[in-house]
Amino acid sequence: MHNFSRPPEFDPALIARYDVAGPRYTSYPTVPQFQGQYGEAQLREAIRSSNEEPIPRQLSLYVHVPFCMSPCFYCGCNRVITHDMTKADRYLERLYREIELLAPLFDRDRPVQQLHFGGGTPNFLDLPRMRELMRSLARHFSFIGEAEREYGIEIDPRFADAAYVRGLAELGFNRMSVGIQDFDPLVQQAVNRIQSVEQTREVVEAAREASFGSVSVDLIYGLPKQSLEGFSSTLDEVVKLAPDRVAVYGYAHLPQMFKPQRQIDAAQLPAAATRLALFGLALERLCAAGYVYIGMDHFARVDDELAVAQRAGTLQRNFQGYSTHGGCDILGLGASAIGRIGDSYSQNARDLIGYYAALDAGRLPVVRGLALDEDDLIRRDLIGELMCHGVVDKRAFGERHRLLFDTYFARERQRLAPLVADDLVQDDARQLQVTSRGRLLMRIIAMCFDAYLDDQAQTSRFSRVI
Amino acid sequence: MSESGFAPLQPVIAMTFTSQAARLPEPPNPIADDGDQSHFCGTCAFSSVCVAAGYEKPELAELQCLVEHVGPFDPGVHVFRTGDPFRALFAVRSGTVKTRLFDKEGREHVLGFYLPGEVIGLNAIYPERFPCDAVALDTADFCRFSFPAMSALAARVPAVQKHLFRLLSKELGSASLLAGDHSADERVAAFLMDLSARYAARGFPANRFHLSMSRGDIANYLRLASETVSRVLSRFRTQRLIRIEGRELDLLDPPGLLRLGQVLLPG
Repeated sequence: MHNFSRPPEFDPALIARYDVAGPRYTSYPTVPQFQGQYGEAQLREAIRSSNEEPIPRQLSLYVHVPFCMSPCFYCGCNRVITHDMTKADRYLERLYREIELLAPLFDRDRPVQQLHFGGGTPNFLDLPRMRELMRSLARHFSFIGEAEREYGIEIDPRFADAAYVRGLAELGFNRMSVGIQDFDPLVQQAVNRIQSVEQTREVVEAAREASFGSVSVDLIYGLPKQSLEGFSSTLDEVVKLAPDRVAVYGYAHLPQMFKPQRQIDAAQLPAAATRLALFGLALERLCAAGYVYIGMDHFARVDDELAVAQRAGTLQRNFQGYSTHGGCDILGLGASAIGRIGDSYSQNARDLIGYYAALDAGRLPVVRGLALDEDDLIRRDLIGELMCHGVVDKRAFGERHRLLFDTYFARERQRLAPLVADDLVQDDARQLQVTSRGRLLMRIIAMCFDAYLDDQAQTSRFSRVI
Repeated sequence: MSESGFAPLQPVIAMTFTSQAARLPEPPNPIADDGDQSHFCGTCAFSSVCVAAGYEKPELAELQCLVEHVGPFDPGVHVFRTGDPFRALFAVRSGTVKTRLFDKEGREHVLGFYLPGEVIGLNAIYPERFPCDAVALDTADFCRFSFPAMSALAARVPAVQKHLFRLLSKELGSASLLAGDHSADERVAAFLMDLSARYAARGFPANRFHLSMSRGDIANYLRLASETVSRVLSRFRTQRLIRIEGRELDLLDPPGLLRLGQVLLPG
């Protein structure tokens, strides 16, 4: 069931009224709720128990490559700037060790259905290193048949060419996500990321020629020096590149949390109204060009697997945003990587020192995590349904979790009341349904059901909702 | 709870659901929900013994002496171990139990699974020691029947003796899903239908239940590989014989499963 046949309604005045910080809910509970007491023993137990389900889930691997050649000033990711490949080799040594420790814990009949390389810049690794890494993964895990696999990688086109992309295809990659952010030279200078349309086109076209199943590009609005004119040209170029998916992220300026952002002059950031207009422009142009709004930051062509999954009611939330099917257990490999095994989350040491120290001592590098309780599971399911399909059938949901929806969520429905009054969401006896006005304020709706958000101080840790 | 850690049998306590107002009650457990005397443990396999002992009669007092409620046992905890002296039979009130043995090489052999209302320990009566381990698979509660007290009662009340013999012969005659040269599909189908029939016999839903046992235990019991059990279940799911989400199982086509498994099932 899904409720997103109509495009979202863009009402800047309405959005401005709800302009507070909020989580993206790529996980629920969100990462700040992970606990330091959750460690290796808990992770091993979660894996053991996941092997013992009647039909154990297939696996989804996330591999973090934390290195970048050059610092983009907007970055909030966990990365290390270097040109020194021996650093990568030291990292890979530990990554192999982690693979060797983790892989045998999973029963062999649990093939890797999804694989995602994120960063940092995964293409910091040249093809020989990439080949070695894929060999190691294939040796220790069972890879699923080619027709079923979704093996993706994030690519910085400034450090990749067509030959590299063809090489990735030979290694089994068939999904690609390409960073663009903005083609406007003024913006590129302000964020220290000079990248031409030609460089970008080369990798996108190479991926298409190599039969990648889906190519996605990332844009960011709210960057310093960004203008409607400049972003408009960027969107023209993006439409010409014709990617299968487009992600349009809002820049979150949190210099106290993310050091690289201190290089950005806050005075150059667009005003709140411009910021909104930038997103409105992206929405309008992408929809006009045949993309559908999936939710949150994501757009996809009507025939892309994400849009198909949404129509089929099988779309799921994951750490990259949305996923065609979430029936996998996710393993995070590498520094800062997050995993989701059964009803638990776990995260590796964020810093290389901690990550290396654990593996050098023969330990799994997990430093925090969470075993979800029943209430967490109920809310995770609810927030996921709202974000993916925009509608929750209260009776079916209640049956699934053995609860009376309106009673269980009595307090949440009170929090929701002003949003109902603003027609962001409809809340009747039968169902909870996000309206086309509410779609762009999904985080606000989800936040009403977040049991950890009573503490208002919490919200300052998250980026603005739009 | 008494000082021994065992709660004495209290036949007249109505089950109440006062926990979280918004949560629906757990599906009624016809075994544990032994609220009143007129519906006293009606669906437990042991009830015929208890009935024979004459509840609602003066003997009830005597019965209370020989039955005590024990538990809860956490998942993985032993109810008894191989070689423990046999002093009592256990009727499962809630949860699931597996019985198992280790061979000389230390390999585990799963002998069976016991559901609410079923009785474990009957095979210990003669050697007077438990010939296997019993391990709780999820949180489990029991009625513990002191065997010396019960023997004494059986000597005086022929009906009690008769029902004990009946229980014993039933245990001996229970379906073996292992006999013969049968396909994995037949074994798994028979396993599911056997569970279904046993749940139904004790008043639980026949077509929707929780698989408390791990796939390793199921595989061990059916003498199949773990992967085979999962592969067969996946196939059943594709064929729309079952729906399965985590450990929650729905039998969508019981007649179809019965046709597959009937060679292994009684009558």
